[in-house]
Amino acid sequence: MSEALIITPLYDREAPGGLAIIMTEVVDLGMIDLRGLPKDKKFMDAAKAALGIALPTAPRTSAGMGDIVCLWMSPDQWLITCPRKAVGGLLAKLNASLEGIFSLAVDMSDARTIIRLEGDRVRETLMKGSSIDFTQSGYEAGTVRRMLFGEIAAMVHVVSEKPDVFHLMVFRSYAHHAWDWIEATAMKGSEVEFLSSAEAPPVV
Amino acid sequence: MLVITCPVCGVEGEEADFHCGGEGHIARPATENPDGISDDAQRDYMFMRKNPKGVHFERWRCDRGCGKWFHACRDTVSMQIFGYYGITQRPPAALLKKADPLWQAHFEAAKKPSAKKAKS
Repeated sequence: MSEALIITPLYDREAPGGLAIIMTEVVDLGMIDLRGLPKDKKFMDAAKAALGIALPTAPRTSAGMGDIVCLWMSPDQWLITCPRKAVGGLLAKLNASLEGIFSLAVDMSDARTIIRLEGDRVRETLMKGSSIDFTQSGYEAGTVRRMLFGEIAAMVHVVSEKPDVFHLMVFRSYAHHAWDWIEATAMKGSEVEFLSSAEAPPVV
Repeated sequence: MLVITCPVCGVEGEEADFHCGGEGHIARPATENPDGISDDAQRDYMFMRKNPKGVHFERWRCDRGCGKWFHACRDTVSMQIFGYYGITQRPPAALLKKADPLWQAHFEAAKKPSAKKAKS
């Protein structure tokens, strides 16, 4: 038997030269979709027992420990990322822990693709495609935000700051669109410079 | 462009980040009486809307935020949004007072189950 290969949506894409940011596809992260009621103490305890971390309940936050990161998606929905190889084991653990509790845990690793964006120009690039001002407070490391990006549904996770590392998650079928969009808007020379500390030009 | 704040997750966004689900508080007749819905009741449910000029109650969904539905109270003329409340809730009294008499009649009728039955 031949071995099954994981083909990621952007396996044939490589970032062109001349970009103001570093852009790569994240291929080794698996994703688990977890749903349950945050008011249900049994569910929250069972999830914590399986994951090792308490699920974040504050909107647009995340919690992580080691390889496992829980991203808040909705009051009753979380996206758990972990190494792709560990998805099976973690899912089995979750399902065993959540047995009999009103909840759902599914392997969604292939539903979305994750594009890793790194550099000082990331915020500006993302702002070109969405209505969100990423320079405001509230977009510190750990923040998760679902949004409309380049006319498609997307989610952004601020992995770290200084240098900025963002994970942009889009549905698999939109992967090329998102990639093309960033390629086009992150070109060197397309900076808008409104993030700089320079004073705004006088209004005439 | 409307600027809307989701009462569920607190996110503030423009209209395109949300989805309008049309008029709120429309009871589906088949839920109460699946076997004996009159054509009139079904027609009213499908097509007849209040469409008031002024304060209106609508359903909205936080499409690019938490994905939850909620109710909003909006003026159809000035586009001003007066407030939000949960998807399973009735409008707060203060908002209902501002609304068109059509809406007040709507909730008056919903309060009296006997009157509602006689109608359908």
